Amino acid sequence: MSDITAGIDLGSTYTKAVLVAADGTILGRHEGKTGFHFAKAADRALRESLDDAGVDRDDVTYVATTGFGRYAADLRDLAITELTCHAYAVHVLFPDVRTVLDVGGQLVKAIRMDDKGRVQGFRLNDKCAAGSGAFLEKTVRYLGHDVNAITGYSEKATKPVSVSSVCAVFAESEIINHLAAGEKEEDVTAGAVVALAGRAAQVLKRVKPEPPCALTGGLTRVPLVRRQLEEILGFEFRVPDRDLGAFAGAYGAGLLAHQRLRKVRATEPVAV
Amino acid sequence: MTAETVESIVDETRTIIEDPSYPMARRWLEEHPGGKVLGHFQVYFPEELAHAAGVLPLKVAGFDTALPIRKADAHLAAFVCSIARSALELVMSGTFDLLDMFVFPPICDVARHSCAVWARNFEDVDCQIIYLPHNAASPAAVPYLTGEYRRILREIEEVASTRVSDEALRRSIDVFNENRRLLRELYRIKRDTPWNLSAVEAYILTRAAGVMPREQHNDILRRALAAIERRDAKPQDRIKVVFSGGFCEQPPLDLISVLQDACYIVDDDFMVGLRWILEDVAADGDPLEALADAYLNHSDYSPVQHDPRKPKEDMLLHKIEAAGAEAAIIAAAKMCEPGLEEQVGYSQRLYDVGIPHLVMEFEEKSNTFEQTRMEVETFAESLLFEFA
Repeated sequence: MSDITAGIDLGSTYTKAVLVAADGTILGRHEGKTGFHFAKAADRALRESLDDAGVDRDDVTYVATTGFGRYAADLRDLAITELTCHAYAVHVLFPDVRTVLDVGGQLVKAIRMDDKGRVQGFRLNDKCAAGSGAFLEKTVRYLGHDVNAITGYSEKATKPVSVSSVCAVFAESEIINHLAAGEKEEDVTAGAVVALAGRAAQVLKRVKPEPPCALTGGLTRVPLVRRQLEEILGFEFRVPDRDLGAFAGAYGAGLLAHQRLRKVRATEPVAV
Repeated sequence: MTAETVESIVDETRTIIEDPSYPMARRWLEEHPGGKVLGHFQVYFPEELAHAAGVLPLKVAGFDTALPIRKADAHLAAFVCSIARSALELVMSGTFDLLDMFVFPPICDVARHSCAVWARNFEDVDCQIIYLPHNAASPAAVPYLTGEYRRILREIEEVASTRVSDEALRRSIDVFNENRRLLRELYRIKRDTPWNLSAVEAYILTRAAGVMPREQHNDILRRALAAIERRDAKPQDRIKVVFSGGFCEQPPLDLISVLQDACYIVDDDFMVGLRWILEDVAADGDPLEALADAYLNHSDYSPVQHDPRKPKEDMLLHKIEAAGAEAAIIAAAKMCEPGLEEQVGYSQRLYDVGIPHLVMEFEEKSNTFEQTRMEVETFAESLLFEFA
């Protein structure tokens, strides 16, 4: 059997695992809450993805971790930055794309890469939750719902409210005011999405994006984010299909694990 | 009873090395009322001389943010390296009020002139420069250094009101030979199986030699080596590097930790003075001559020793090869003239022979390393993958 690698993206909010075959095919995957214990979250995600693929742990030759908690998982062979993983995943999925915007639970990352998928430059959002998925999660929690409600509500909106504050703490007050003033829940949710997209667009502009761009991260599940970005920036965004946007970091780690295996074997005949 | 772990020994040792009041030295003084303490600045000092006189030798290697600089800035200019200022601060602040004697090896202009600054400010401390030979390869170097060691020994005898016999010196050499042997074993493990001993752990265990009686340090090392033997960590796929630039001012532990997240540091020059002599010092013959010979002829290299037999770029290349490393981190402390000067030569040679390397600066008082993390991760990833 040829090599299977595991890419595990230990994000601040969710942990994603993807099992990748040597030709880049995804064999299995899993997503779960990260919680407070990264090592356990990584173990669980790997186990569940093995069940999903129907393969044994021993069949996995190499494990690469990425994301906020990448150094906390002892099961890894290698830790790789999210920047490199997202860039490489997008390079494989959309070879003509040179700019990636990753909107995750806590960070927004804009990445420029070359035609080989190698990172050339990047910018991150400031230490502020207002431009991240956690802000949206908090917004829907005010409405008494969980994260899964964001897409449904934002799609139903007819007149998104304005959320002007750049600070998540003050934005919360604005949202409470809107709700108290009788604004519809879907318009408040969509307002928060629009505000987030605006901040993410600002981060992307700092790397001088070269269209078309790709959008990755958990917020690819909210179609309004993409539409809003396209409206603000005036160019097309590619979003990986099959919900791969949320798994792009883990998928990139799994692909790079294969790349690493090939390089090690080419330089050292000893098996890794 | 559960066997003790590497983690518990390292935690215990870390508490000791991070306390600028030198708690182990205070305990020694309680157990040896009237005992004398000799401090010495980086890089190397033959501590056997103090040990043989019943004097406790302590190494002053600077401190991170645990020791804020408040008084020393009035005596040393801002363009002076941090370690010189924190060494002075240690004594001026009253944190390190244990000294009877202090010795500066003349490793750079700052160290050389610091002796005068200290002598003016601390009248109760016998401040000395140990004049190491400028040219280590000269045939006159060993006899000269033997004489210089004898002069320093006389000073120590005066401070301690004692006379030191050759036999006492030989016993001390034995204790330090054992220490050097244990440290070599620690570094062998770090080089051969770096997943079983991290760079931070090795650093903490090594640095502790300078802040406690050497017999106690030998005990800690024996316990640690036994615990490492029981460890069976999973090897990870990290690039192997040699770190260069830690011979005098020390990078903060958090910085070493950031580096080791991305690389296995399989060899380095952290606290190189404690590991300066590479082999056992001969226990027969004239012990002072044996120590002088070991310093000159059986020793490591550093930017602050001139020895035409040991071109530093060649020595670095040899270290990289011997450690099985594929890359190097060429660091220098901010404002360190010898370190920054050597950085240029090292870097040029590594370019010439095609060994990838990351050039960086550090400061013992730095406390944010996100920029460094990004640099070192990018460096590691540039070696890990081939983007074809």
